[in-house]
Order: sequence, then structure tokens, then C-alpha cells
Amino acid sequence: MGISRYALNRRTFLRGMLGGTALSFALPPLEAMFAPNGDRLAHGAEIPKRFGVWFWGNGVRRAHWIPDGTGAAWMPRAELQPFVTAGVRDYVSPITGLEIKTATHPHHSGMTGIMTGARYFELGAVRDTIATTFAYPSIDQVVAERWAADPMTRAPYRSLEVGICRFRGTDEGTTFQHLSHNGPNNVNPSEYEPIRLFRRLFGMPLDAQKDVARASVLDAVKQEIDALKPRLSMTDRGRLEQHTASIRAIEMRLGTVGASCVRPGAPAEDYPEPSGQEPIAAKNAVMSDILATALACDLVRVFSVMFSTAGAGTVFWQVGAVNGIHQINHDERAMGAEPQPTVHAATTFTMEQLAYFLARLRNTAEGAGNMLDSCAILCTSELSEGFVHTNDEFPILIAGKAGGALRSGLHYRSPSRENTSKALLTVLRAIGDPRPSFGYLAGETNQVISDLLV
Amino acid sequence: MRGGWVSIVALAAACQGQIGGELPRPSASPSPSPSPSPSASPTVSPSPTPSPSPTVEPELPAFAPAPASLRRLTRIEYQNTIADVLGPGLPVPTDLEADTTLHGFTTVAASALNVGPLAAEQYEKIALDLSARVFADPARRAALLGCAPATVEDPCVRTFLERFGRRAWRRPLTSAELDRWVGVARTIDLRLGDVATSLELVTAGLLQSPAFLYRVELGVSDPADPTRRAYTGWEMASRLSYLIWGTTPDDALLTAAEGGALDTPGGLTVEARRLLADPRAKVALGRFFAEHFKLDRLAGITKDLATFPQMNGALPAAMRAEIEQLIARVVFDRNTDLREIFDTRSTFVNADLARVYNLPGVRGPGMVEVTLPDNSPRAGVLTTAGFLALYSHASVTSPTLRGRFVRQSLLCQEIEPPPAGLITELPEVDPNAPPQTLRQRLETLHLAVQPCSGCHSRMDPLGFGFEAFDAIGAYRTTDNGLPVDASGSFDGQAFRNARELASRVKASPAVSSCLVKMAYRYASGHRETDGERRTLRALDESLAAANYRFQDFVVALVTSDGFRMAGE
Repeated sequence: MGISRYALNRRTFLRGMLGGTALSFALPPLEAMFAPNGDRLAHGAEIPKRFGVWFWGNGVRRAHWIPDGTGAAWMPRAELQPFVTAGVRDYVSPITGLEIKTATHPHHSGMTGIMTGARYFELGAVRDTIATTFAYPSIDQVVAERWAADPMTRAPYRSLEVGICRFRGTDEGTTFQHLSHNGPNNVNPSEYEPIRLFRRLFGMPLDAQKDVARASVLDAVKQEIDALKPRLSMTDRGRLEQHTASIRAIEMRLGTVGASCVRPGAPAEDYPEPSGQEPIAAKNAVMSDILATALACDLVRVFSVMFSTAGAGTVFWQVGAVNGIHQINHDERAMGAEPQPTVHAATTFTMEQLAYFLARLRNTAEGAGNMLDSCAILCTSELSEGFVHTNDEFPILIAGKAGGALRSGLHYRSPSRENTSKALLTVLRAIGDPRPSFGYLAGETNQVISDLLV
Repeated sequence: MRGGWVSIVALAAACQGQIGGELPRPSASPSPSPSPSPSASPTVSPSPTPSPSPTVEPELPAFAPAPASLRRLTRIEYQNTIADVLGPGLPVPTDLEADTTLHGFTTVAASALNVGPLAAEQYEKIALDLSARVFADPARRAALLGCAPATVEDPCVRTFLERFGRRAWRRPLTSAELDRWVGVARTIDLRLGDVATSLELVTAGLLQSPAFLYRVELGVSDPADPTRRAYTGWEMASRLSYLIWGTTPDDALLTAAEGGALDTPGGLTVEARRLLADPRAKVALGRFFAEHFKLDRLAGITKDLATFPQMNGALPAAMRAEIEQLIARVVFDRNTDLREIFDTRSTFVNADLARVYNLPGVRGPGMVEVTLPDNSPRAGVLTTAGFLALYSHASVTSPTLRGRFVRQSLLCQEIEPPPAGLITELPEVDPNAPPQTLRQRLETLHLAVQPCSGCHSRMDPLGFGFEAFDAIGAYRTTDNGLPVDASGSFDGQAFRNARELASRVKASPAVSSCLVKMAYRYASGHRETDGERRTLRALDESLAAANYRFQDFVVALVTSDGFRMAGE
């Protein structure tokens, strides 16, 4: 696996821009660019920390989720067994017994609560439910913004958003269609097609001459945005500010490509669905591969995987389901010892997909260890369990070691239904974010799960 | 998300909710502020209203147009527009974000969402790629440029930018804008020493400008009334063209705008009728109906293959095509009373669909028009397999989902969300009890239980009318071995079967006013405000006055105050 020298290129490029000549790539000695200590990659660069979210809709079956025992001695029940099977149990810390403190509507509150530490922003009460968006940036963008602002943590792509199961939800606002938000109605849509993600990351040929021209064009577009803004409402000005930021993200990549990175093989052009049966495991595997490569190339350090949306109606035909899982959560009848066998099987299947992704990172050697050592990944859903549709006893896993800042493989069981934001603040601390608290109003906390932090 | 209250068997422990008719409600803020809304808590009334009581129409608030907002081109609008401005024969760009839907329509989301990093990247890549293709082809390049400039200072460069810019931006460029892009061409030419490449990049630049990617329709102050702004002729050209054609204005429309023809209702009418007569209108306005009926979701339906061997991978597309063509026949080809979509016996099937309908003699995958026999259990869109399958589960029907669609989407009668934290409890089934039809079970579980019946009495009885059609829309006379009972009453009017129910729906004034409201929402790109209720009422009257012909209604819509003006 090759190592990106992107950070170096970009910084020298920017220096060039400031000097008025966009293509002056006068390279200072490598050693000058990096901290003198720390684990290093083959090219001498420090191994970066990475942050990710891995989200699935509709929760879990509590009875099969909450591990037996706490601390390092936890014993997985059936739905966490896939991590044992995949050999990543010791990288996974189940956090149980927390609850969303801003709960008023199960799916909407759960999604925005766990992603922002806040209540949703209501766009309207329509039909028999509500339409909402996020009031604040989702946690992946909280991290992305901070890291993008610092040349030492910036990567060519501020963040990547990946979707696995096709969208089978409703139009109850962006909360139900997207995970990554920069703010209200300001979303980073997920890429669902592996070939498109691949082309985006690895398909653009390097053309330094054209990059110069592109820079001039993008600059003119930004000028036009600025010229338009004074005529607009405050809301539309905000929208155009995002547009400008989006163009800046392109500019930052000009003159740089993951040049020393090994280009992976292209995925299949298409993942057909005979009779509506989605090849979920195959898509998850290839998306995991592309994402792991992008991380290894240091093209990106922040990512989100939306395995399925909040309240998703994914049809898990792999476990015998014929209806959407959201409906099954409501409808499935008690039979024998397991009250909801299809829900349970679908949750286990979903955790197998997550386990594949984590194992893929674990199998990617990096420095003296592997890539999962450098990651902090928040794995969660928007509900406790679909059967009751509540936001207590929230399913949360924290995976990875955050470059040694996280103690992994521990089960933390909240004794007092603590705020889910506590888990989020813990992860933020592990990746070096010093903020004293996270969340808003009832969702705010200044507490961390100290057992998990080194 | 709809929860247990739409479940076919779940017994909601506390699903009381207020049944809203067409009562005024405070409009949602169209522009979210970065702080949580204090009104974000669901409101639940403890006293369900059993049925809509006739309300005395209150005096409507004074007309106040909705504020203007930038509208991002939707995916299809972008694809159409870029093909129109660059010329035919280029590949259709597909590496584009999927549209988001808000309040039922992609056009509403397009007025609210941003160009995020991914979209900006995609727009740049497409613009560079297509521009390079045009410039790599000498004939195309000559056609686009209209000359072969030897230097960037050649006057024809500016002429090209004026002509192409007006087409791409749907308005003339200002001299400052022309200067800017000539300057960009100069800069690139200085660096690369290549005039053609500099113009190729400038072309790609114009296609990334906010003037291209958004519909910038802001209006100008109305001297007669400082509280409102009138959309300019150029802006009206875009509003007309994107609504009726789904793409950028053609040269004739831009010329009409330039000459002031679009400043008056008369001139707008002439151009709207010209656009409506073009085949593109059928496709673009058909998208309104497709979004309204949520036909995109048909692509994702999953049916139990053991129960429905007729189901195959191609059937959902045929189901969709039938509904689209049925509606288009009434609304466009025949340009007749649009409410006939609810009882027309003229429809479209292919071999797969004919098998579901038990119609002999239809072969092949192509759709053919058929007239259903007079004694057919089917007539109109509500008896199409697509509608019936979309609002069903994988193996059983859902009277709740079907009735809810009629009540909420076709009649615009809202049902309040149930209380938060709803716990659904599944009733034990007595294995020794005699078999029941689904209707009988729901009458026990949803309608005989007091808190539940408040909501479900508004949905399930309508859905019972469709019980003679199974979960893929095939006709049946029994359910679970017992005779189907598809009779009922729609707001006090009895029906015996789906056709009679559809006739009742067709005759309901709520159906036409709901369609007016949804079409206005789709066309204007925002959720209607209280200040626009007078416009909506006037459009209701226009539709009736036009004998419910949709095309005449579209003309009334584009000439309405609400469509021509923005709030200050």
C-alpha cells in the first residue's frame, strides 16, 4: 500500500499560490514537515488519526445486543458475535445504557440526537409525521471542519460519505435521507455506487497544466458567487457560502493527486438486483475496500458509512425477509424464544457487514500496526430497538484505538441512563479535540467515559 | 417515520390524534435558522375529531407572495439544460447527486439545499468533460464559437461569450461579467499559450457559475407596491420553461423575454400555450404527477415471489409506465377533465401487466393501449397494479396505506402524527379462532379500539374499497378463503367496490383543490404560505372554470400573482 504525500504537495502548492506562481513545487526537506516523534509511515510521515461514523437504521434487539459483563471481560451475545468471528473483538467497545436526552420523536430524535447531540430542526408537520433536518453539523463534520482548518490534519478530501443499502425511506426531511450534515438543510449526500466513488477518488488523471486553468475558472466562479450574495436573503447567502466552501475544497486538491499511492483495481460497473434483491454484502465489501484504500492513501481522514437510513425499509432477503425491515420491526410477531427472529437475524447480518469493514481496516498494515489502530469509529443507529421505537438503551460501539488514545475492547455499561453525547465527547477527546462539552441544551454534556481514554 | 399506526396488524396502544381537515395551520418557516425551532414538538390533541365538520371558510389573509429563493437545478433539469446549451449528441451526464425530496417534491428540496463538496466536484468534472468534447470536435467547436479567434482579443470572443452566456444563463451577461470571463480566457491563454483551450475552460466556467447552476429569480421592486417584487421577463422565461419543459428557455422564449412579452399575463399565456403544445411538456409535467404519486418508489418494491409468481424484475417498470401513460392520455393527449384519471377505462399494459390483469392477447414488453370492458372491476389510476402494489406489503395488502394515500395525498387531509414513544403491542392470535379476512382483523384491531379508530377510521375504510385487489394489484374475490367485502362509505357516500369509490373520490371537491395545491407547490418550489391562499383559491376556481383541463390550469398557474411575484 502506497503512502500519500499529499500533505506536502498541498502545502507547497499553497505557498506557491501565495507567491503568485501556482506551480512552484519547491520541496523543503521532509523532516521539516512533520512532528519529530510518533509512529511513522514508510515515507516518514506520521500516521494520521482517522474518524468515522458507521450508521445503520432501526436499532438492534436488546436481548441479543447488550454484552454480559463489563470492562475487558465482556462476553458478546449473538448480535456482537460477528466481531469475534472477524477477529476484531478487541478493537470494539460496546457502550450500553445511554439514552438520547432530547427525545420527542423516535426516528428523528434518535438520528439528530446521536449525530449532533441536539434535537432536530422541524421543517413542518406534514401528513402523519414530521419533516426535519439537522439543527447542527453532524459529528463527522464537526471533526472534518476542525481537521480541515489545520494544515497538519487536513487531507485532500475533507470527508467522504458512503451509502450501502439503497434508499428505501420516506421524504421526512433530510434527517431521513442523509447522514452527514453541515447544518440545517445542508447535506453531504452519500455515494451509493462503488464505481462512482472509485472514479471520484482514483479516476481523475493528473494534468498540472489544466489545473492552472481550473484554478482561474474556479476563482471566477467564486467571484460570481460573491457578486450575487448581496442580492439574496440571509438563507440563500448561507447556501452560497457553502457553495464557496465546496469550491475551495476543489481548489485545495489542485496540483495534487495521491501520486505515490497505489491505484486499486476498479470495482464492477454495476451491482444488479435480480428481482429486487440487493447484493448488500458485495456492495459493502467493495465500498469497504475503496474506503480503506482512500484512508491508506491519506486522501481522506473523515468518513461516514450510512449502511441504511433512519427508519430504512431495507429488505434483508439474505435472512429470509420479504418486507422492509422497518415494517417488520413493527409487525413481527412473538414466536418461541426469540420474539422477533427476522429483526434479530437482520441485525446480526448488519453487524457482519460492519465487522467486514473493521477487519478490512485491521488487515491493512500501517507502520508497526494496522489501520484500525489509527481510527476512531462511532458505530450506531437511531433507535434502541425497532419493536419499541425508543431512544433509551442506545446501541453504540466505538471501534479502533485512535492512535493509542482509546482503550479498545471494553464494555461500558451506564449505571444511570447517561446522555449519549457522553460517548460522542469521548470519541472527540480521543482524536484530540479539546472542547469542554458536546451537544446542545438537554443533549449537552461535559462528561466523558474515562475508562475508554488512555 | 410512519410507525405502528400504519401497521396492518399492530395494535397501537395510544394512537389518538387530531384529524386535520383543511384547517389553516401556521406555515412552517421556509428558511431554517441555525437554532432549533421552539415549535419542534409534535402537537397532539387529546380529543380526536371523528369526522370533518363542514367549516365556514374564514376570510383569507391578504395576498402576500412568498419570498424568492435560489433554486438549484434538479438532476433532470441539469441534464436537459446542459444538453440544450451545448448541443445534441453529447453523453448524458450521470455522475450527479440524486435529488433530495422535501414536502413531497424534488423541486421544493432544490429551493432549500446547497451545492455541497460532492456536487461542486461533479459539476466541475462534467463541465470540463463536456466542454473538452465539444472543443475536440472541429465542427462542434465552430458551431459553438461561431468563429475561429486567433487571439483572445479577437472581438468574436466577446461575441461568443455574449451569445453562449445568454443561452447558458438565461439572461444577457452584464459587461462586468463579460469582462470577467474574457479576463479568465486571457489569463489561461497567457499561461498555456492556447486560445482554444482557454475558451474551452471558460465554457466550462460558465457552466459552473451560480447563474447556470441555480435559477436566480429574484424579481425587481414593484413601484406600485413596495411589499412585493415582480419577476423579470428573463426570470419568467425560466419559470415557464423549467415548469413546462423541464429545461432552459429556448431562443424564442428568450426573445419574448427581451421584447417584454413576458411582462404581461397575455404574453405569458401565448408563450405558455406554445410550450404546452410541445412534446416536452408531456414529459416534464408528467414528472409532477410521477412525484405526486411517488412512482419512483415502484423501482424499489419487493413482493413475496412465493405468493406472486407473476412478479418479475420488469413488472415494476411496466406498472410505472401504465400510470404515467394513463395520466398523460387524459391530461395531455385528450386534454380533458383531469379527474377522468380516476375513472377512465382506457389504460396501457404489456404482456407482464396483462397477465396480472387477466387480459388476453397482449404480447411483448411494449405498452399498448387497451380499453377495459365495461364490467371490469378496474377503471382509473386507483385500480392500477402500480398504485395497488405500491401501497401494499410484500405478501398482503394494506388498506391503511392505500386509504392513507387517498386521504392525505389526494384529498390533502392531514392526519396528525401519533404521540412520541408510541408502543405497539402485538395481539396474541388465537390459533383456534375461525379465519378472518384482513378487513375483519383491522375492523377488530384498528377500528373497534377507541384511541386507534380516531386515525384509522379516516384511512382503513377507504382502503377496504380496494380489497378486491391483492398486494400486486391482481383481482380477487376472496381473502384468506373468505369473500372479499369492498363496500363502504366515503365521507357519507356509500360505495360497493373500488370503481364506485374512485367515482366518489373523483367527484370530491377536495381532490381538485388538493391537486391545485400540490401542482402549485411543485411549480413554485416551496410549501405554500398563508399569503398564497388567495392565489390557490383563485386557481381552484380557474380549474373548475376550465372544465378541469390541466393544460388550461397550467396557463392559469403561470399567470397567477403567486407565480409572477416574490415577497420583498
